[in-house]
Amino acid sequence: MIWYQYLSLGALAVFLIAMLWHFIRLIKEGKPKDLSTKSGNLPKAEVYAYTIAMMPNHKESAYLHLPSFTAGIFFHIGIFLSILLFFVFFFISPTLFPQWLQMVLALCIGICGLCGFGLFIKRMIVKKMRELSHLDDFLSNFFTTLFQFFTAIYLIAGSFAPIYYILVTILLLYIPMGKLKHMLYFFAARFHLGYFYGWRNSWPPQKNY
Amino acid sequence: MEKLTKEQIDKAIALLKMRPDSKLETHLNACVHCGLCASSCMYYKAMKENKFIPARKVELVASLYRRYCTLTGRVAPFLVNARELDDQMAEEMIDSLFGACTMCGRCVKHCSIGVDIAYIVHFGRRMLAAMGLVPKTLQATVDAALTTGNNMGIETSDFVDTIQWMEEELQDECGEDARIPLDETDKDILYTLNPREPKFFPLSIAAIAKIFYAAKESWTISTHMYDVTNYGLFNGNNEQAGQIAKRLHDEVIIKRCKRLVLGECGHGSRANRWEAPNYLQQPYEFETITAVELINNYIRTGRIKIDKSLNQELVTLHDPCNLVRNGGLLSELRFAVKSAVSNFVEMTPHGMDNFCCGGGGGQLAMSEYNERRIKIGEIKADQIRKTGAKVVVTPCHNCVDQLSQLNQVYHLNVKIKTIAEIVADALVLDKE
Repeated sequence: MIWYQYLSLGALAVFLIAMLWHFIRLIKEGKPKDLSTKSGNLPKAEVYAYTIAMMPNHKESAYLHLPSFTAGIFFHIGIFLSILLFFVFFFISPTLFPQWLQMVLALCIGICGLCGFGLFIKRMIVKKMRELSHLDDFLSNFFTTLFQFFTAIYLIAGSFAPIYYILVTILLLYIPMGKLKHMLYFFAARFHLGYFYGWRNSWPPQKNY
Repeated sequence: MEKLTKEQIDKAIALLKMRPDSKLETHLNACVHCGLCASSCMYYKAMKENKFIPARKVELVASLYRRYCTLTGRVAPFLVNARELDDQMAEEMIDSLFGACTMCGRCVKHCSIGVDIAYIVHFGRRMLAAMGLVPKTLQATVDAALTTGNNMGIETSDFVDTIQWMEEELQDECGEDARIPLDETDKDILYTLNPREPKFFPLSIAAIAKIFYAAKESWTISTHMYDVTNYGLFNGNNEQAGQIAKRLHDEVIIKRCKRLVLGECGHGSRANRWEAPNYLQQPYEFETITAVELINNYIRTGRIKIDKSLNQELVTLHDPCNLVRNGGLLSELRFAVKSAVSNFVEMTPHGMDNFCCGGGGGQLAMSEYNERRIKIGEIKADQIRKTGAKVVVTPCHNCVDQLSQLNQVYHLNVKIKTIAEIVADALVLDKE
């Protein structure tokens, strides 16, 4: 391993500790204690909250905004793929990948990165988005988009390794500070939503009425 | 607005730092500012002002959370938009959280993440209430409930007169044995009303009394505490909400009734069915159900007979947010209405996706926002118009009030009825 890889591993440790702290705090605070009489089925509602309720045909934020929604989905697929490759690279250098695999992965991640870049541009030029955003929103998008682009570049040009690992280090250290930590709070939000609607029998939706 | 004192600010921040569970922390950290909630909010849809985007409302509270409760917000506030709680912030909060949200929760269901925006708005109202910044009009409604026992300040003698008048109407239709029993004890049901009923819509009391008569129900209304509403749900003062809820709770115990039946009021049903045990920090010792559920029980068990051919006009249903999205009664409402009418048509959208009428969240009490309330109601008016219905049914008297105003302003030419009224119209009384 080379110094910049150690650097990124150090950042990974900081990231994990910080996110674990957020996670433990949520667990310690616990779920709401509702003293009203439960009406619905909580397990079913929780499953629904994490699955069908997330489907694009169930949310206006998806079906009324298909270009943004689709870009967002690809952006996130690119992030997950890039994270996976970050770990893989510790065991197999991308230069050892078959060339066709390098190109396919680079192309896929590059497209996902372009989606992220598109959302970045949208945030800058659409007035209602600009007014809603602050520095953290731009930086979060910028770092994750750059992370994907440099994952793609590193796949096909091994000489970019130092820049790639330094970028990963910055990203990992930044995540717990800003909105990127929604990677944890998203799951907690879905849990609370399932709990709220499930307790009152609003979720899963009533059918055959 | 007078300049905020340090004491006021400290009270609000203390509330922000006091977390009984992880819900607040979760939702304040979950919003990614994608802005896609805008199209789900009736305020944004109707007014097209960016400040009405639900995420902007969340951001008001979240920016305070970041400033006072996070390291990043304290060290680098410019990075994460961590804002001070100052006069300008308080004014923005009042305008957005009280004046531009009915807490209908439509944006919650459609949020790309699942942020409980209505919950955050309510929390923001709690912070404002802690600072004594509840709009005077809304606070006056809560104060009336606290001081007189009902939110419209109706004198007991006036209330009794109205009930007696309705009892006479009922007896004219059903016979001398039909009654509206007041202040009786050891009955199966303590029934509650929205004070708008004795004040403006007394015939809805006669309607439910007719249903009880047909079902041979053992019931009573308390002259001391009949008000199902609880505007403490809206002013953000949980202590006052608890005081109002406790009165109704205690009245059931005093009257030794078996069940509390919540009259047709969306927020009142929510406040008493779902929130009140948490305000009082105790599970209720008796069953609490809505009037619609009770009526459905009569229909299902054959305690009342319905002839839906008696209601021939085309009917549509407005789903009160607090009964459907936030109360799980979607299919119950439809069972009641479809049992009582021959021709029914749904609005588009309806159910969990239904738009608020615009009168929720305490908007009807805050006259300073009347213009906005009527403007956002145009969405509901268009929905109604597109159905072609002649009758709009809704089991909520606040919705009835707002819909009646929309009916007038937007020339809808429809009749607005409660479920009790539409069921009473279809009742077949036993000749015995």
